[in-house]
Amino acid sequence: MELLLQTLLNGLLMAGVYALVATGLALSLGVVGIVNFAHGEFLMLGAFLSYLLFAFRGLDPLFALGLAFLAAFLVGALTYWGLIRPVLKAPELNQMLLTFGLSILLQNLALLLFGADTRVVAPPYQAATLALGPFFLGAVPLGAFLLSLALLLSLQLFLTRSRLGLAVRAVAQNRLAPGLLGIEAEGVYLLAFGLAAALAGVAGVMLSVMLYASPSVGFLFTLKSFAIVALAGLGNLKGVVPAALVLALAEALVSTYLPGGGGLVEAVFFLVLFLALVGRAWRGA
Amino acid sequence: MRKALGLLVFALGLALAQTPLKVGVILPLSGASAVAGKAALNGIQLAADEVNAQGRVRLELVVVDDGTDPAKAVPAFTKLMTVDRVDLVIGGLASGVTFALSGPVKQYGPLFLCIGAASSVVEQAFEGYPLFFHYHPWDYHNVAAALQFFQSLAKDHGAKKVAILYEDGPFGSAGIGVYKQQLERLGYQVQAEPYKAGSGQFTPILTRFRAFAPDILYWIGYDVDALPIATQTRQVGLRPKLIYGAPPSWPIGFEKNPLSNDVAGMTAWLPTVPNAESRRFVDAYRKKYGELTEEYMAPMGYTIVKSLALALERAGSADKNRIAEALAGLRMNTPFGPLAFKPSDTGRTKYQGFGPEIWFQFQYLEGSRRPVFPKDKAARPLRYPGEYYLR
Repeated sequence: MELLLQTLLNGLLMAGVYALVATGLALSLGVVGIVNFAHGEFLMLGAFLSYLLFAFRGLDPLFALGLAFLAAFLVGALTYWGLIRPVLKAPELNQMLLTFGLSILLQNLALLLFGADTRVVAPPYQAATLALGPFFLGAVPLGAFLLSLALLLSLQLFLTRSRLGLAVRAVAQNRLAPGLLGIEAEGVYLLAFGLAAALAGVAGVMLSVMLYASPSVGFLFTLKSFAIVALAGLGNLKGVVPAALVLALAEALVSTYLPGGGGLVEAVFFLVLFLALVGRAWRGA
Repeated sequence: MRKALGLLVFALGLALAQTPLKVGVILPLSGASAVAGKAALNGIQLAADEVNAQGRVRLELVVVDDGTDPAKAVPAFTKLMTVDRVDLVIGGLASGVTFALSGPVKQYGPLFLCIGAASSVVEQAFEGYPLFFHYHPWDYHNVAAALQFFQSLAKDHGAKKVAILYEDGPFGSAGIGVYKQQLERLGYQVQAEPYKAGSGQFTPILTRFRAFAPDILYWIGYDVDALPIATQTRQVGLRPKLIYGAPPSWPIGFEKNPLSNDVAGMTAWLPTVPNAESRRFVDAYRKKYGELTEEYMAPMGYTIVKSLALALERAGSADKNRIAEALAGLRMNTPFGPLAFKPSDTGRTKYQGFGPEIWFQFQYLEGSRRPVFPKDKAARPLRYPGEYYLR
């Protein structure tokens, strides 16, 4: 029983980071209607920013959080303005190829600038642990989980309580009608794409402390985010947190209880993605 | 007659010194083994510069990136063979990639100087290929060296239980069953679990290891796993007496992270190795690159080029078979110690360079790697149990 509860706690904490990354992806998909394969590279940007500030300025990654949010927002907004906007009306395949190309470009840019080396930061609290009776909670994963929760709640409040947020939701529901009401769709798209990148940037800072910074750090999380977004329903923001929870718990349970389960972790999200798509096809039929 | 022969040799030597010999270099400059690959390339370039400066032979390097990926490596190798038309290739660092290259190598038939690829799967793949020179020890040599250390841990420190985390690719999983049996033969209780390299998720497996209460946590994987394992071991409340890792390279900045303290591992070389060739290499490396490396692939690359240049000089010809012949009879000192080729222990390949004798164990202590085992190479005593406590 103790092992089961600890496993569930491990899964729960991981779900926070997954949700944060996947929410950005869902936002760009739901509002802008773009499948952004370069989402993981915004995450990488946050991870490298955290590393560089730590390595060259001695700044704690906590300070990098706000900066990564702003920097990734800016890069996301510029990406939207320069690359996404011109292909908004192009066929979906063209859009996907564009973001895929952007992903390769950004990864290779990072390879040129920093090399393929794995880089780590060393804040003093990195391995801090809270022991609650027989249970252990890593302070950083717990902090990342709480921060993810706070950011997702803020996003929810923004989307449901502010005029701008309502405009974002309106554009997500119908691309033409909000224009008739005077809502500037392009501004909303830019905001949504920037926010999506900013959330990934913040997740990148967290991952630089929990894992490492490298040009390929975002790839795996993008893949997992696609599984989460598919499970939640394409573009459905409310479904992202439960879907992230399902994926993270499934991974933790498989890893703990299946013999050799650690090697099957990657298979879990493919299975989740497969089941989600098949389930949807059945329901739609 | 003698004079004429002397003149001929001189003329041949002069021709060799003036016509650069193209050498293909295929290394992982990106992907999982990039740290080791770039270190190897630095060593290779340093040695090539020295050789060219001496002027007896001239080498021209044609470098391609295998991306630590068989799908990228095979086209890159084919380009070396068909576009650059090289007859000599230095490369083969990651086992999985080198295994994939075995077919194309046999097809094009170059002299292949293999820098890494410890997996005995690679040894089987190159069985019978006459121009295969493997410098790096094979995995059974690595296991023999590590087992010697584990024997000492059991005998001198009373270690009884080992939990092994191994990545599920060819690097981590080849021979894991045999390894487990050998540890059990030493009297250890062993629990082994696979994981995906780079996934960063060890908490579930480490949580399960808690019930096993291992004395030693042993991971066989890549640099990307080093920090997550050091962190998550503490976060799940696992208390091993030693964290022992066997990645091909360690992450940049890991030694400055306090979590690296007391983590142990195995290497074939460190800049502090008290060996004249090693000291010479360290000085030359620092002079060229303005910094020092702790990656043993740097002196390995350096050694390969130095041995090639010597063989080329002795062969007096750019013919790959003549160079191979000269290489086979070579005896030279290297930063790792003496180098001479002999058949591999299994007899599958004809030219094996180094064996288990080059390996030693180190521990991260106060921000740097210090040799701790065997005793004749140790600079400091092993800190056992290590301090992997709550912070």
